[in-house]
Amino acid sequence: MSENNLHNEQKLLNLLEKKFILKGGSVRRERRVEVKVEPKEIVPVLLYAKENSGYTAFTHMSCVDWIEDGEFEVVYILWHPEEKINFFVKTRVSRDNGTLPNIDFIWRQANTYEREIREMFGIQFEGLVGREEFILEDWEHMPPMRRDFDTVKFVEKTYFERPGREDAKDVREYVQERTDEELPDFAKKYSRD
Amino acid sequence: MYNDKESQKIVDIIQNYARKHSLFILAYGTGCGAIEIPPTMTSRYDAERFGIRGAATPRQADVLLITGYLATKSLKRVIKVYEQMQDPKYVIGFGSCTINGGMYWDSYNTINVLDKYIPVDVNINGCMPRPEAVIAGFVKLQKQIQEGKADGWDKYKKNLDYYKENQKKIITNWVMPDFNW
Repeated sequence: MSENNLHNEQKLLNLLEKKFILKGGSVRRERRVEVKVEPKEIVPVLLYAKENSGYTAFTHMSCVDWIEDGEFEVVYILWHPEEKINFFVKTRVSRDNGTLPNIDFIWRQANTYEREIREMFGIQFEGLVGREEFILEDWEHMPPMRRDFDTVKFVEKTYFERPGREDAKDVREYVQERTDEELPDFAKKYSRD
Repeated sequence: MYNDKESQKIVDIIQNYARKHSLFILAYGTGCGAIEIPPTMTSRYDAERFGIRGAATPRQADVLLITGYLATKSLKRVIKVYEQMQDPKYVIGFGSCTINGGMYWDSYNTINVLDKYIPVDVNINGCMPRPEAVIAGFVKLQKQIQEGKADGWDKYKKNLDYYKENQKKIITNWVMPDFNW
């Protein structure tokens, strides 16, 4: 892969670096550009990408729970239909009472993703219109996709269990016990602590 | 004539014989198991030779198939549907998810043991059970019906408090009418 192949990718990154204050940006590989911005820069960057650079398609919006840093990372994924480039815009908000700007005036379909993230992680979006209840019904506990939501404990408390599955509680620990194998750090719970 | 025990026995045999050869399945698919129903119904396995076929509405159906994992959200609908069905009605738990939770045993929104919420007559093991297994399950149900042992609907009436308590433990916002006779 020569440098010339990354021409289009580098062009976008250079433009954005001139226009905005980025916290970081890189060309990950062919057809994949990634920038990290502050939450207040989200709307300008996305608008610029859509109106001036041709990233017209909003593909996806996802959320990652970095519990060790006390932050959520929200990723906006855009697509350039002509140049075939994926553009990732990443931003970080606090885990408690994190608020992000609403972007459903740029792409209407973002409304669905935002409502899902609001329900599953508890991030608030300024001025987001839509029912609070989206996929979950009558949910009154912590948003379930947060990493500090202990599903196993919740299941033990809420649902019935048929006996005979006690050994399948945590497969990794079970394997470690059986084989005397040292678990690698990344496989342990809350590994960075 | 109906007070006569011997005659009643003969009537039961005839009734059960008729019931076991016309099992109408409610067209209601939950989870991934519903995909096994089309091959069971169509020419390859041809379930209709056992008298098994689809029914459009709960009031016309005899069998409720729970095909796979059951989210708490759809449990509400399943209870609604089950209570609308006419007696005698039978429930078949399909796949390991309805037995012990299967691969979703630690999921926050799927129930683990279906039998605690509605009475299950036959469980079919597997993930997924093949059409042969489905038909084997139905044959077992037919055998139970002929012997008069498939009495889950009767159990539900008699132990209504037990089932309601379990159901309301999960469905916190109960907006449905309560089922009673």
